[in-house]
Amino acid sequence: MELNSLKDAVDRVAKKQKLSGSKSQEVTDQIVQEIEKAVEMMQSTTVGYKSVLLELKKKLHELAPLSQLEGTHKELNIALSKYQKAVDKAFNPDISKAYRNIEFDSHTVNQIIASHFYRQGLFDVGDCFITDAGGAEATASMRPLFQEMYQILEAMKNRNLEPALNWATTNSNQLKENGSDLLLRLHHLQFVKILQKGSRDEALKYARTNFASFAGSHMAEIQKLMGCLLYSGRLQQSPYAHLLSPTNWDIVAEELTRQFCNLLGQSYESPLSVTIAAGVQALPPLLKFMTVMAGKKQEWQSMKQLPVPVELDKEFQFHSIFVCPVSKEQSTDDNPPMLMLCGHVLCKQSINKMSKNGSKTFKCPYCPSDINATQCRQLNF
Amino acid sequence: MEIDPLPNGTGATAATTTETTITTTAPTAASNTAPSSKLSQLTDSLKLEHQFLRVPFEHFKKTIRANHRSVEKEVSAVISSVADVADSNELSKDDAVLSLTSLVSRLQGLKRKLEEGNRTENLHAQRCCTRLDHLESVDAENLSEWNNIRVKRILVDYMLRMSYYDTAVKLAQSSNIGELVDIEVFQEAKKVIDALRNQDVGPALAWCADNKSRLKKSKSKFEFQLRLQEFIELVRAENYMRAILYARRYLAPWGATHLKELQQVMTTLAFRSNTECAKYKVLFDPKQWDFLVGQFKQEFYRLYGMTVEPLLNIYLQAGLSALKTPYCYEDDCTKEDPLSQENFRKLAMPLPYSKQHHSKLVCYITKELMDTENPPQVLPNGYVYSTKALKEMAEKNNGKITCPRTGLVCNYSELVKAYIS
Repeated sequence: MELNSLKDAVDRVAKKQKLSGSKSQEVTDQIVQEIEKAVEMMQSTTVGYKSVLLELKKKLHELAPLSQLEGTHKELNIALSKYQKAVDKAFNPDISKAYRNIEFDSHTVNQIIASHFYRQGLFDVGDCFITDAGGAEATASMRPLFQEMYQILEAMKNRNLEPALNWATTNSNQLKENGSDLLLRLHHLQFVKILQKGSRDEALKYARTNFASFAGSHMAEIQKLMGCLLYSGRLQQSPYAHLLSPTNWDIVAEELTRQFCNLLGQSYESPLSVTIAAGVQALPPLLKFMTVMAGKKQEWQSMKQLPVPVELDKEFQFHSIFVCPVSKEQSTDDNPPMLMLCGHVLCKQSINKMSKNGSKTFKCPYCPSDINATQCRQLNF
Repeated sequence: MEIDPLPNGTGATAATTTETTITTTAPTAASNTAPSSKLSQLTDSLKLEHQFLRVPFEHFKKTIRANHRSVEKEVSAVISSVADVADSNELSKDDAVLSLTSLVSRLQGLKRKLEEGNRTENLHAQRCCTRLDHLESVDAENLSEWNNIRVKRILVDYMLRMSYYDTAVKLAQSSNIGELVDIEVFQEAKKVIDALRNQDVGPALAWCADNKSRLKKSKSKFEFQLRLQEFIELVRAENYMRAILYARRYLAPWGATHLKELQQVMTTLAFRSNTECAKYKVLFDPKQWDFLVGQFKQEFYRLYGMTVEPLLNIYLQAGLSALKTPYCYEDDCTKEDPLSQENFRKLAMPLPYSKQHHSKLVCYITKELMDTENPPQVLPNGYVYSTKALKEMAEKNNGKITCPRTGLVCNYSELVKAYIS
């Protein structure tokens, strides 16, 4: 994006603004000088003060301060309008062009925003918002839940694992059910931390109490950790030096966040952030489309499906979508995807059409295979 | 080397070290493979930031105009005073000296004002630069932080438009983004809106006078609407004579262009404020004041080059449409999809579904996209999962696969690949 030319334009504006500012000062100074000079003359000579006054009037008229001001101001205006034109050209001047005229229920929006603040750890802002906006009071129940999470994370930042371990131990069954080994990872960090302090006995004791229950599922990891015991006090120079990396803490903190949100029944990312990010990706193609079909604003307001495909990044893909390569339609329960013997997949309706309702074989559109409709299998993604 | 494919971290075994290295290198590797499309996507998203640059610029322009006008006014006033003194025949010398010195001190005052005006103008120019710099600062490394700030900017815009000023200020301060949001600009709106809510048109009329030429250019009739309301209030108070005088002075000039509305409102003189005649009853409705607030907001947004709708609504609408699929409304919709939440579903209800030209298959187990690197495989019962998930399952269970949705058990060797274009 050509931001440099915009910067030049804004620099020019700033320069002209300074010029215009100093011109105003200068003009004012000139007038002051003339008047002061006149006053002095009037006071020093006893006669003819009238002529001094008339002379002053004439001088000021010759100075033409207003047209002096006008000149620099005009230059400034030219620079301003140039910058404005450049901004209008480089950016999309109206991003509401693809907006459908429906009113969002503000209570719903406010609830979404309030829970966004809490889950982002912006507790004060969230409280303030609930007072300010009203209608989102119910969301306040999320506050203590996330507050606990942020306290745990804050403690981890200070290398204190106590709250995290407490939480993971309390919820160990659920964590196991979800297939998470967070508890072991936390024990792992704690074990290395103890070892790093050089107290081998304490580390051994810690391992005995805490690792035993993971022996069945995570033997290899435990063996490695026990190997560390040999290097107590000089882990930095050992083959296990990587266990000291601070990124290990970041990874476990992320996993904790994920699991904590999971157990709360919440997503890992704020749904508001996800939706806005999707909107940022979706708007450019939608706006482009609206420019093309400027005359059909009416249709846009009532469409059941977006008129153009919007390709979102893969982090926004939450569902399997099958588009039949023959009919270009999305599969439905009535028109499911079917696997042909060659391994290619079409929708049922397309297969029915090509096989004349199963009465004859047809050629796969992708390979030379002959396809018999009766041998196709329905797929579930 | 295996990458832990599960977001919930199953399968993360002893290999913490390899994991560390891989999770940190994987994203950069991915962004290196498609830099051009990422870059154009970024450019496209920056192009949406028109309001971000336009508002401080309009503010800047407005200050310049106001300062210039006040200098012009002062200077011409001084010049004409000098002329008056010079042309006057009655003034004694001492009186003349006195009035000249008072003019000098008036000019000194102007100079101080100029200096201050200059400082504000400088600040505005700087803000324009800061915003450009902020747009320029985005790159692959700070993208997520930058996006985070964008969400906050969008939220502050929403708060300001909804008059949640305290939250707007708090959010901006706590995130240190004061230069990137337009709280100052909205102070001006707040004054007018608060007054209108108290049924006082004064500040609104002053605002109209301030922006007279621009409002005229856009053929705004906001001032007329304010005048109509004041007239109605006089009729409501049964102050008929004053109402007529008011109309003569302030409404008549609009007759040429808005005769019909003018006639309608004049007719209220014949009715009382408790009239049941629908056409006139509506004019006495206190809701008219809310309508005026709405009208003012529209004019205000237009003047500053803002979108008519809050940015939040625009982005949410586009995002929800792009995310909305029929599958979002099914019971097993993943939590990670915003549309699994009731509030988001409610907002998306009147919006269109997204449209896809190409198949996109997400593995039920790993939630990862299935593509040529991680192709889909079909179980004998027609259920499809990613190769990665199935391979891992087979390795753990001696080549046996259990379908997580139907419980069917089969051998890894029974799977067939599906080719999906």
